Amino acid sequence: MTSDKDKRGPADEGGSFTKGLSPLQLMEIDSCTQCGECLKFCPVQDVTGNPLISPPEKIRLFREFIRATEGLKSRLFGPGEIDRKLLEDFSKAVYECTTCGACGESCTVGIFTQRLWPMLRKEMVRRGLGPIGPQAKIPQTILETGNPYGKPAGERFSPWLPEGTRIADSAGVAYYAGCTGAYEAQPMVRGDVSVLNAIAEPFVMLPPEEEVCCGFPLFITGQHDLLENLVRRLVTAYKARDVRTLVCSCPCCVNIMARDWPIFYGKELPFKIRHITQFAEEAIKAGKLVIRKELHERLIYHDPCYLSRGVGVMEEPRAVLRAIPGAELLEFERNRLQSRCCGAGGAARKIFHDNAVAMGRLTIDEAVAKKADKLILSCPACYAKVNEAMAGHDRQIKIVDIMELVSGLL
Amino acid sequence: MGMLLIAIAYLVYAAFWVRLSLHTLIWYRAARDRGTRHPGVSGGRLLAASTALIDIIFFRRLFSSSKLLWYGSWAFHAAFLLVVLRHLRYFLEPVPECISDLQIFGIVAGYVLVPALAYTALLRTLPGRRYVFYQNYLVLGLLFLIGATGLLMRNFFRPDLVDVKSFIMGLVAFRPVAPPGNLLFIVHFSLVLLLVPYLPFHIFTAPVIAIEARRRQQGLDMVMHDKR
Repeated sequence: MTSDKDKRGPADEGGSFTKGLSPLQLMEIDSCTQCGECLKFCPVQDVTGNPLISPPEKIRLFREFIRATEGLKSRLFGPGEIDRKLLEDFSKAVYECTTCGACGESCTVGIFTQRLWPMLRKEMVRRGLGPIGPQAKIPQTILETGNPYGKPAGERFSPWLPEGTRIADSAGVAYYAGCTGAYEAQPMVRGDVSVLNAIAEPFVMLPPEEEVCCGFPLFITGQHDLLENLVRRLVTAYKARDVRTLVCSCPCCVNIMARDWPIFYGKELPFKIRHITQFAEEAIKAGKLVIRKELHERLIYHDPCYLSRGVGVMEEPRAVLRAIPGAELLEFERNRLQSRCCGAGGAARKIFHDNAVAMGRLTIDEAVAKKADKLILSCPACYAKVNEAMAGHDRQIKIVDIMELVSGLL
Repeated sequence: MGMLLIAIAYLVYAAFWVRLSLHTLIWYRAARDRGTRHPGVSGGRLLAASTALIDIIFFRRLFSSSKLLWYGSWAFHAAFLLVVLRHLRYFLEPVPECISDLQIFGIVAGYVLVPALAYTALLRTLPGRRYVFYQNYLVLGLLFLIGATGLLMRNFFRPDLVDVKSFIMGLVAFRPVAPPGNLLFIVHFSLVLLLVPYLPFHIFTAPVIAIEARRRQQGLDMVMHDKR
């Protein structure tokens, strides 16, 4: 039997807790006032009601860890001991989070939590306390197959790529399907390519074995070792094909591409990153994409966390939906920067499945309560999870990806 | 007793500076290791700082989140600042004119501070508030007692102000003299010493983070959109 004493270890085992954080993030940790206002907006709190895994509690615990390793007492008398269980509980709390960033958006100080939580996860990985469960296999799986799902590259495009799609060898525009879209949300990527075909501008797609993971699952689970290699491979491949605009429909992919690829690449990217809705909206404005069919339905659009709070793309999806003749656009109570996570974020959806399903059902329930005919999504992870949440749920609504919808109305 | 109080005061004073220095050291070390930064795209600092002034002075983000908490929190912080400014008269000789002019506001602020703290503490006990850490109560309680003893001294048990100023100036100049013989002053001063180690660091860092939040907000539109 293990005694409590055995579960404790010197706090400096693994060194400083502050190594992987920027000065700003350290200040953010100091700046939390513990007011608890963010709990009102936390989707994990909505479904668990457990304040021990809430944002201020995670920050408080991390402060304790810093104090134990770098505080006055530890400097005078050597590092104290940290209960191993406390570290494990903290690690679980950090990984149970969907990293949606709603807490940061509502933070009374303005802490950028959508960025802070992944960096705390990275620290847990460094100390051997993260990631959780199957997330630990992601790096090896990506090394072996190029994607986090362990699916063969040969199946990346073939099951869904519309017939007659003409892929250029070299062009100013490229389309990156992304692993989740290609393997788990195929109606979505089929819709993307159908819309690109309709715009009739030449576009590049990398061969399936070259279109590897964008790195987001590694980044978000705190496993950063492979990131630079993946980013360099992808950027070099697109650069070699004279790409000037890289289009993608996955918010997680576009987030890491726009925010972090330049850091891992070491300089500014040689191309712009655009979400598919931005590209489609420009094409609609330019008259290159015309939505001909009418749709007399009430549509409610869910803002994906990494698209709205992450990179600020909020109006373009709405503009595309408003361009559908006859359609009425509804809004969730919490929309745009305040949107509520559907439960699919943070690579937590397959580990904390029940939480994710419960969050997905909150989204479905609100859409049904608003009397929407269709729930419109624009994220493959949301698409996969909300569809899963619908199975066996007493309220039902038709879930459609935005480009899937548009491609059916051309 | 007097010597003990003076010794504790210097200990607390030294510990505060060590604590602040250690935090600064941690920030400095992190700043040196630039490779770990993941800053995101941000707008200009100057513009952000000017717009963030409103956020900082009026706690705009808290106002947006909870008006109920804002009333208590803003009233407390504003009153606390005025009370601290008023107390500068004990630390400075000659007393600057602006501090003398502030005295009346500082006195009024003292009457606001105590009920604002009681209101904030009460809000935290209301059902529906899911997160309260015990240290929050400790700090609120200490501040409440400091404010209450201050009001009692002001209205009922006034210490000899010349003795108070001599004591404080002696501490500041490292030529300590005996504290005033007013028990309430000793309690008031001891509570302040007890509060210092628990002073939340957000009073130093939150304004910086508020500016960065503004900067991030202004920069968000530039992450995936062409710069205008």
